[in-house]
Order: sequence, then C-alpha cells, then structure tokens
Amino acid sequence: MIRRFLKAALAGLLLLNPSLSAFAATCSCAGVPVLIYLDTSAIEKGDFFASYTADDHQINDLVSGSDEVPDETGRDRSSFSQVLSASYAFTDHWSVSALASYVKHERKIGSSSFGEMSAAGIGDSVLLARYSPFYISPFSRHELSLGLGLRIPTGENDIVDVFLLSEDMQPGTGAVGKIGWASYSYAFNQAATLQTFTSVNYTHNEENDRHYRFGHEMNFTVGLSQSLGSHFGYSAALRYRSTEPDQRSGFELPNSGGKWLDFIPAIRYAVTDSFGVALSGRIPVARDLDGILQFTTSYSYAVTVSYGF
Amino acid sequence: MASRLRDLILLFIILAPNASAMEPAPDFAGQDLNSGVQVNLASYRGKVVLVDFWASWCPPCLESLPAWEQLRNKIGTGSFEVIAINVDEDTDDGIRFLRSRPVSYPVLADPEGEIGKPWGVRSLPRYFLVDREGRIVSTYKRFKPSDEARLEQEISTLLKQ
Repeated sequence: MIRRFLKAALAGLLLLNPSLSAFAATCSCAGVPVLIYLDTSAIEKGDFFASYTADDHQINDLVSGSDEVPDETGRDRSSFSQVLSASYAFTDHWSVSALASYVKHERKIGSSSFGEMSAAGIGDSVLLARYSPFYISPFSRHELSLGLGLRIPTGENDIVDVFLLSEDMQPGTGAVGKIGWASYSYAFNQAATLQTFTSVNYTHNEENDRHYRFGHEMNFTVGLSQSLGSHFGYSAALRYRSTEPDQRSGFELPNSGGKWLDFIPAIRYAVTDSFGVALSGRIPVARDLDGILQFTTSYSYAVTVSYGF
Repeated sequence: MASRLRDLILLFIILAPNASAMEPAPDFAGQDLNSGVQVNLASYRGKVVLVDFWASWCPPCLESLPAWEQLRNKIGTGSFEVIAINVDEDTDDGIRFLRSRPVSYPVLADPEGEIGKPWGVRSLPRYFLVDREGRIVSTYKRFKPSDEARLEQEISTLLKQ
C-alpha cells in the first residue's frame, strides 16, 4: 500500500515538474514491429513452417534529429517479445501466414525502484495471405511474393500501473493495421546457396478506442544470404524504416515518427533438414527522428528456432 | 471481423487443390546417360516406377542415388524400375558424378526443366512413386534414411495390386 502510494506520489511529481517532463521523450517503438518476424521466402505446396522467436530490444539511445545526446535521466527501457509464427502453403503459389506475440515492456527512470514500470501480456497478431507468381527452383532463379494482411489487435492496451500506461508501454496497439507486403529474391546459382533479397512492407494503422493512432509505417529491406555447406548460413541486410508521427484525436504527437537505417546480421544453423536455429541482431546505422528528443533503439538481438515439414 | 476471417480461410480451402496424389504422371522421354538408349516413361506402364530428380550439388541426392540402386537390386526389375532425372544446368557435372558412383538404372538429363516443371519439382531431392497404371501415388521431399523402408513397404503393396 505504502509502495503504491509512493509510486503514485512520484508519478505525480514527474508529471507536475516541468524540467523533468522535458525529458519525457516518446519511445519510438510504434508498438512491437511484429511483421519483421515473418519469413519472406515462399514455401512449397503442402509445406508447414513454424518458428518461435525471442527478441530483446533495448531502447536507450536519446536522439535529437539525427544526433545522439547524453541521457541524464538514468533511463533504462527495453521490450522483450516472444513471437510464434506459422505458414502453410495451399498451393505452390498461395500460402497463408499467422503470427502471435507475447510482449513485455520495462522502463526504469533513475536509480530508485519507484521509477520502475513494466507491463506484459499478449501482443498483437498478424494474418497474411501471400501470392508467389514465381519462385526459386532448380529451373528458376527468381522469386516474387506479394502479400496482403491484417495486424489484429489481440493484445492488451489498457494495462494500468497506478495510472493507465502510455501506448508505447502497452503490449498491443488496440487497433487494426492494414498490411501490404512484397518481396523479391534472386539466386546467383542453381543450388540457390547465394541469394540477394529485397522486401517492402507498409502498415496503415487505424485509431484505437483511446483515439490514439500509431504512425503509418514502411520498411524496406535489401540483403544477401549465403548457405555454407548443408548446415551453416548467414545473411546481412540493411533495413530502412520510416514512420509517420503518432496521433491522438487527429493531432500529431511531438517526438514521434522518423526514419531509421539498421544493419541486420544473422547466422543460422540447420540441425536437420526440418529443424534450425538462428541468431540475428539489429544495429542502428543512421536515424533522423521527428521532434526535439526521442528515445530509440540502441540494439536488439533475437534467437529463432524453426521447424518445417 | 470474424466473418471476414472465416471467408478468407474458406477461400483458401476452396483454392487449395486436392492434396492427395493419384494424378496421372506427366510423360517424358529422353536418352539414358548410361546406355544411350531412348527411355520413355509410358513404356514402363505395368511396372511400379520410382522417378527421382537429383543434381550433383545436392548432398542428400547423392545419398539417395545409391540407396535406390540397393532397393532396385532387392526388389528386382521384373515389376519395378527406377528412373533418375539429373537437373544439373551443366549435364557434365551429373555425368562426372555417375562415373564415380555408377548406377544401373536409367538416368536422363533435364537441364532446362522440361521434365521437372510439369512434375512440379521445386526443390531437391524430390522423388515420386508411380503405380502400374501410370499414376503418381506418393511424393517424397528431402531424403531420410527411413524413407527407404517406407518406400519398400509402399512398393511391395503396389506390386500386390
């Protein structure tokens, strides 16, 4: 009881103290970007592919425009996401993918435990239909996939910790997102051990029941992947991400939205033909963020286990 | 929202073709890389045929080729045959492999996919079991050592029909 009171008192002080509020920069999480966990490669008729990803996302860089500035708040912000995804191909051209997530957000301001805040729960889901007019095979070097889908607001967005938590601390967005998606891959050899790939996706976000709307988001990725023997492989990609500012009741929120360029390295090991593990990371290369100050990604890393049959 | 999702799922079920096999095997013809003799799948009507697509760059395929040789020796060629289709873009790569590990069943070259595309070959190894009536009764992806026993059982059942 005393702890709850002290937390409330501290929260009140933070809200009322203008000098501290100046540091209350929005976190550019835009919810959890669950779409990045979907595998972009087309799968064969009758194949089922499932994966589990655990992602640790550290969000502690304080950025003004494109410049990193010192953070004097002793702030520590992270998101830990667990994502289950599954894909099934009804034909060689048509497949469907589904994704479910569980998200834990943590935020700590200062060294006192009173500045700690966390929220965890089921996150949003994604359902995507995919059409692949052509795909890589022993007789073709090209693969094109087009997808349309929805981000479904299965996640909680009304978690209270003394006060109703801000949108960036909620596991779900509380609103539907309409997704358009396309990817193209080219194999440099018949065995397709060396490939280049590019993909683009766009999410059009709707407003949730609290009249909050995450900014529409676009991701463009280009990269290279190589298999070394029958077990090892690696990939390296650059991802450009652009989001519009978030809105509440139709008004743009300051310190949200921007442009990011990330480097995404990954290594994978195929334990068997069906079972594999992968380790990937996300390292900021450049960013140009809207507003005066934003906390944004320092780095993230993810472990994925996948199974296909 | 729920009804839209249900409609979407129904659409995919309708679009999905019947996953069961028993489709007529697309016919093919070509010259046996071993003997130079002209080979035609239709001429094997009345026999159970294992059609195996492979390439020299596909490690599991290199395990399956000798496995089929053993299977063929075990079952005999009275009512059974193996036909291997090499899909190397450069057929010489396949021929070099066959010199080092010869097989006695027919091997055809298909560098352009003229045989493989109608069979829907998308990854390797891929092999198909064709019954006496010339219908595809089962399709195998990848190669596992346990496939040999399963195939042998399946072939034995087909030969009794």
